[in-house]
Amino acid sequence: MFAEFVDGPFWYFSATVFVVGVVLRLFFALRLGTPRPLSRPRESASRGFIRTVFTRFIPRREFFPRMRLEVIAGYAFHLGLFALLFFAAPHVEFYKERILGFGWTPMPYWAFIVSAQLAFAGLLLLWLRRVLHPVSRILSDAGDHIGTILVFLVMLTGCLALAEFHDSLRVLHFFLAELLLIYFPFSSLMHTFTFVLSRGYLGAGFARHGVKA
Amino acid sequence: MPVDMNVMRGFMEQIQQLGQMDVPSERPDEERVDTAKRVMLEKLDTALAVDLEACVHCGLCAEACHFYLSTEDPRYVPVRKLELMRRLYRRERGPLRWLYRLTTRDITMDDLEEWQELVYDACTVCQRCSLICPMGVHVAAGVAGMRAAMRAADLMPVEMRFVGQEQSEKGSLFGVGSEEFRQAIEELRASGLSIPLDEPRADILVLSAVTDILLFKDTLVSTIRIMNHIGASWTFSSQGYESANFGYMAGDEEWQCAASKRVYDAAVACGAQTVIVAECGHAYPALRWDGAELFGKPLPFEVLAPAEFLAREIVAGRLKVKPIGKQKKVSFHDPCKIGRVGGVVDAPRVVLQALGVDLREAEPHGVENLCCGGGAGNFLINRGMPLRQKAFELKIRQYDATGADEIVTSCDSCQMNFMAGSMMHQWNKPIEGLVALVGQNLA
Ligand code: SF4
Ligand code: SF4
Repeated sequence: MFAEFVDGPFWYFSATVFVVGVVLRLFFALRLGTPRPLSRPRESASRGFIRTVFTRFIPRREFFPRMRLEVIAGYAFHLGLFALLFFAAPHVEFYKERILGFGWTPMPYWAFIVSAQLAFAGLLLLWLRRVLHPVSRILSDAGDHIGTILVFLVMLTGCLALAEFHDSLRVLHFFLAELLLIYFPFSSLMHTFTFVLSRGYLGAGFARHGVKA
Repeated sequence: MPVDMNVMRGFMEQIQQLGQMDVPSERPDEERVDTAKRVMLEKLDTALAVDLEACVHCGLCAEACHFYLSTEDPRYVPVRKLELMRRLYRRERGPLRWLYRLTTRDITMDDLEEWQELVYDACTVCQRCSLICPMGVHVAAGVAGMRAAMRAADLMPVEMRFVGQEQSEKGSLFGVGSEEFRQAIEELRASGLSIPLDEPRADILVLSAVTDILLFKDTLVSTIRIMNHIGASWTFSSQGYESANFGYMAGDEEWQCAASKRVYDAAVACGAQTVIVAECGHAYPALRWDGAELFGKPLPFEVLAPAEFLAREIVAGRLKVKPIGKQKKVSFHDPCKIGRVGGVVDAPRVVLQALGVDLREAEPHGVENLCCGGGAGNFLINRGMPLRQKAFELKIRQYDATGADEIVTSCDSCQMNFMAGSMMHQWNKPIEGLVALVGQNLA
C-alpha cells in the first residue's frame, strides 16, 4: 500500500513540486530584470558570463591554501553524487522506465562503491565544517541542515537498498528522495541551478570592466 | 614637495570633529524602516536575487575579506552583510511570500542599526570576496544597495553625511570650492607654472581632488607638469574640477549625480574628448562605469584613470621619463577601485617599468590585492578606526615581505590610509603617488 503510494501518486506529486518550484524560483528572480549597462565595455559581457561559469570550477591559486578542505570535500561530494545520480544501475533503469524511455551504460559495482564513499566522505566533511567553523555556523540556518540530512539519508538508504536487495529499503529510499525533491525548491539546494546565473552575472560585470572574475 | 604632516593631522582633526556633530534623526522609526525597505527593494535586481538564491552559506567569502582575516570575527563574513536583503527578498519578492512571511522575521530598526556597522565600517566595497566565492556571489553590489538603504533611513555615518551634503549642496569639499581651487591655481601660476584654467576649448579635461589641493600638492604640480610636457590641449575647469564623489561612496544617487554632472557639464562645455580623473580611487569607477548609467546614455567622452593615461602616453612615446634605476625598490599597491573594480592593473606597471625602478610585487597584488581598509569613504568614519587599523596590519605584513623600501599607489585615499596606518603602527614605509613619481622624473 505504502509502496504503491510512493511509487505512484507521491512520485508524481513530488516531481511536480520540484519542477514547478524550481521554475518559479528562477522565474521570480529573473523577472526583476537588470538595468542595461551603458558604459563602454572593455570586454564583452557575454564572454565574461560564460567564462566565469566555467573558470569558477577551479579556485584561484591565491585563495586555494585557505580553502583546501572545502574544495576537496566539495569535489568529492559533488562528483560522487553526480556519478551515483546518473550512473548507478538502478537509477539508469529508473530514468529509462519512468522518465526518458531510454537508458545508458551504468557504472560497474566497484565504481558505485567508490562514488558512494566519495560522496559520503565529502558530505560529512562539509557538514562538520558547517557546524564546527564559526563562520559557516553563524551563516547556516535550519534549512541548510535539513538539506544535508535529507541528502545523507537518501544516499544511505540508496546504498543499503542496493547492497541488501530489499524492496522495503528501495521504497524508503524512493520516499526520502521524493521528500528531497519537495524540499529542494525551498532550500539552498537551488544552487544546483542558480550557480550558473550568479557566476555568470558576476563574470559579465567584471568582464565589462576588463577583469577576469 | 613632501606631504606636510601638519596638514595631514589638521585634515584628520577636521574629520574627527565631523564625528562629534551627529544629531539623531527626527523621523519615526517605522518610517525610517519603511524607506530603507523600499530602497532595498528598488536595488533588488535579477543579479542580486540570484546571488541571494545561490549562496550555500559555506563562509568561504570570509577568507578573502580583510576585515575577517584580520579579526577572525565571524560577524564580518561578507555575505552576512546581505542578510537583510535576503529576508526582504523572501518576504516581498520571491515566490511563496505568504509562507516566508510566516517563517522569516521582518526587518526592524534594531536590525538596521546592527547592519549599519557591517555595511559601512566593515566593508570597503572592495569586491575581493567575489573572487573566492564558488557561486560567484557579488557581495559588494549588495552592500552598495544596503548603503543606499541606510542613507534613506538616516543611518549613514555622520562624517559621510556631512561631507556628502557639503558636496551636493555647496559643490565644495572640506571647504574647498571653485574659488579655493582657482586660488590654488593662481598660487601655482605665481611659482612659474603655466596652467590652463577654464579654457573654452580643450581636448582633455583634467580633474583634481580636494586631497591634492590640501595635502598632495606634489600630485597637483606633477599633473600640470606632465600635461604641459606632453603638449596636449588640456584644461582644468573651476566648475568641474573635483574627482571625488561622496554620493558614490555613500550610496546616494542624487548626490552622486550632482557631483558627476559638474564634471560632465565642464567636459561638454570645452568639447573635451577625454576626461582624466585625479588619483582618487573611487572617482574612476564613479565616472567611468557609473557615469553613463546615471545620465541614461553613453558619455560623450572617454574617462581615464591617471595610470591609464600615463601608460598610454609612455607607450605612444609622447611622455618621456628619466629612468630612476634599480636602487629604488618599490612595491605597488593596487587600489581596489582602480584595479579590481576599475580594471586598471597593467597600466601602473608599464609606468613603473618605464621609470626603471626595482618593482617588488607584493603577494597578493593586481586584481587580488588586499584593500588598505580605508576605501569607499571608510577613511572618514571615526568609530571604524580600530577595525581599519586592525585590517591595516595585513598590509604591513604584505609589504614588509617584499623587501621594498617604499610603496607607490595611485589613490589619494589609499595614501592617506597608509599614512594614518604608518602613524598608528609606527611603521616606517613611505608611500607616494604614481603621478608625483612621474612628475619628478620627466625627461
Ligand atoms: S562564499 Fe559565496 S556561497 Fe559561500 S557563503 Fe560566501 S557568498 Fe555564500
Ligand atoms: S567587498 Fe571587500 S570589504 Fe566588503 S565584504 Fe567583500 S571583501 Fe570584505
